[in-house]
Amino acid sequence: MIVVATNLTYFLAWGFLDPRNNYVGRRPPLSEAQIVQLLQPRNLSDTVPLFERWWNWLSGIVFRWDWGVSPVGQSVNEQVAYRMWVSAELVLGATIITTILGIALGVYTASRQYKLADRIGQATSIITMNINIVVAALGIVLLAISFNKMVGTTVFFVTGSASPNVTGFFPIIIDALQHLILPTVALVIIGYAGTHFLQRSLLLDNINADYVRTARAKGLTKAQAIRKHALRTSLIPVATQVAFTIPTVFMGAILTESIFGWNGMGRYFLETISKNDIHGTVAIAAFGAVLTAIGALLADIAVVVLDPRVRVS
Amino acid sequence: MPKDSIQPAVGPDTTALRLPRKRMSKWHLYSRRFRRNRPAVAGLVIFAVLVLFALIAPLIARFDHTELDFLSLGEPPNGDHWFGTTSAGNDTFAQVSIGLQRSLMIALAVSVGTTAISAVVGTAAAYFGGMFERFTLLLIHFLMVVPTFLLLAMFSNDSGGDWRTISLIMILIGWFFPARVIWTMALSLREREYVHAARYMGVPGMKIVLRHMLPNIGSLLVINFTLGVVAAVMIETGLSFLGFGVKIPDVSLGSLIGSGANTITSAPWLFYFPAAALTLLTVSMALIADGLRDALDPTSAAGGRA
Repeated sequence: MIVVATNLTYFLAWGFLDPRNNYVGRRPPLSEAQIVQLLQPRNLSDTVPLFERWWNWLSGIVFRWDWGVSPVGQSVNEQVAYRMWVSAELVLGATIITTILGIALGVYTASRQYKLADRIGQATSIITMNINIVVAALGIVLLAISFNKMVGTTVFFVTGSASPNVTGFFPIIIDALQHLILPTVALVIIGYAGTHFLQRSLLLDNINADYVRTARAKGLTKAQAIRKHALRTSLIPVATQVAFTIPTVFMGAILTESIFGWNGMGRYFLETISKNDIHGTVAIAAFGAVLTAIGALLADIAVVVLDPRVRVS
Repeated sequence: MPKDSIQPAVGPDTTALRLPRKRMSKWHLYSRRFRRNRPAVAGLVIFAVLVLFALIAPLIARFDHTELDFLSLGEPPNGDHWFGTTSAGNDTFAQVSIGLQRSLMIALAVSVGTTAISAVVGTAAAYFGGMFERFTLLLIHFLMVVPTFLLLAMFSNDSGGDWRTISLIMILIGWFFPARVIWTMALSLREREYVHAARYMGVPGMKIVLRHMLPNIGSLLVINFTLGVVAAVMIETGLSFLGFGVKIPDVSLGSLIGSGANTITSAPWLFYFPAAALTLLTVSMALIADGLRDALDPTSAAGGRA
């Protein structure tokens, strides 16, 4: 599936992007021969038949793990390898916080169903879930800027993933955190509500089950009974969902990254499309497909870990 | 005098007749259950106000959204320009109303399209079974692997910013996920007695799908439709924000927020108004969807009795 989807994206990308457009309007204008001369060694010239281009590209990946170069000659491998970690720094932290916060809120509100805390939690979550990521991120930027002004120093950086010229172990970590906090908060705000609602409704299905009552009768407190018995059952679908949202979060960080100026995969995606970088676009598509596959695998692993009835032979 | 609503005891030891009770119509029941959910009613009111704003505001605005007022560049909100102006002299009030109109139109068109296609394809796949079902599922699973946002960006970047083309592309890329859900729902429907009965009476297959199976997942479709509006608004905003969606001179909420983002510290009103409109729109639609779910689901406890 991944291979087929990637190859299809290759042809689609050729249908919509044309590297030749990059040279339109150059001053002084380049001649036809010059353009071909620039593009041909990069396997991006449309004078070569499409099938031959495709074969060059595919054999490069299969035999040398070389995903090609952009129209200006940057290696796609290097770009992806660097940007992947920038994105991961942002996305992994946000996913972990989102999941923990969502599950905690779900458990808290479910054990106080229809009480004030539950009502407030539900109302907040339904609003934050439907705030657009753009609005949330820009709102946070505004807040952070006014906070910085109030304090007098730059506590939060609103652009970039790291400042240049920072040395030393602790300064680097503090600097990274200063950059990391705002985009992570933006991703968490819009993301946690989905987990919260799912966890709440699943736990409510289980909280009145016989085995939870048995656990209470054995002498466990209500909190213990919920944590050790009801929660464990209801975590299974939540874990599946979280694993499947990883690729979505990665791609959903496109907007966050472009607002906060992070040079991650999302930014790369925009650049490749606007610069007619076909090889880069296809590499991102392949990356997304691989993430989907990893998500599915993680979901299976989570089910095996959480559900004692599932046995791996 | 007995109250009309209280039934006299009926049994072997009394001769009292049951009072004729007015049957509650389906719509009456739905609206009553919907009204019980106060946030949903609030959502409906907000949504109605937004629609009215999108329809009426362009008529009462003093400036056209493409008109440039060179005497007031980048002004904060004042008596002349109620929502302020951009640095090029566009009236933000007119822009926001037109942008809201555009976003609403795209969202409604996309949601109608995806709901209709996914409903017909999903139920038809479940009903006809066999090769058709297998082929449809293969197609859906394949489309799930394809990076749709990338396709969306490439297609709509190519379309030149016409909102009709963008909606069409969003429909083509958005139908398969709900179709998969509807297929699962319809699997149990096809084994129901009334579907068998219709089939043995000789009703043609497509007619069974449209007349007998679709109405029975109607409540799911209504909810899908409202949530689809939210999703479409979100995606359209994202695309336009990045510059792949609606393009100048046409505006949408996304492109307005995108241009407002560049001047967020110097001219924040360019961001505030479209952002507020967008947030109100999505939150109100989500509240309505929540209320509809309670109102239409016969097993829902949240709707209360009746």
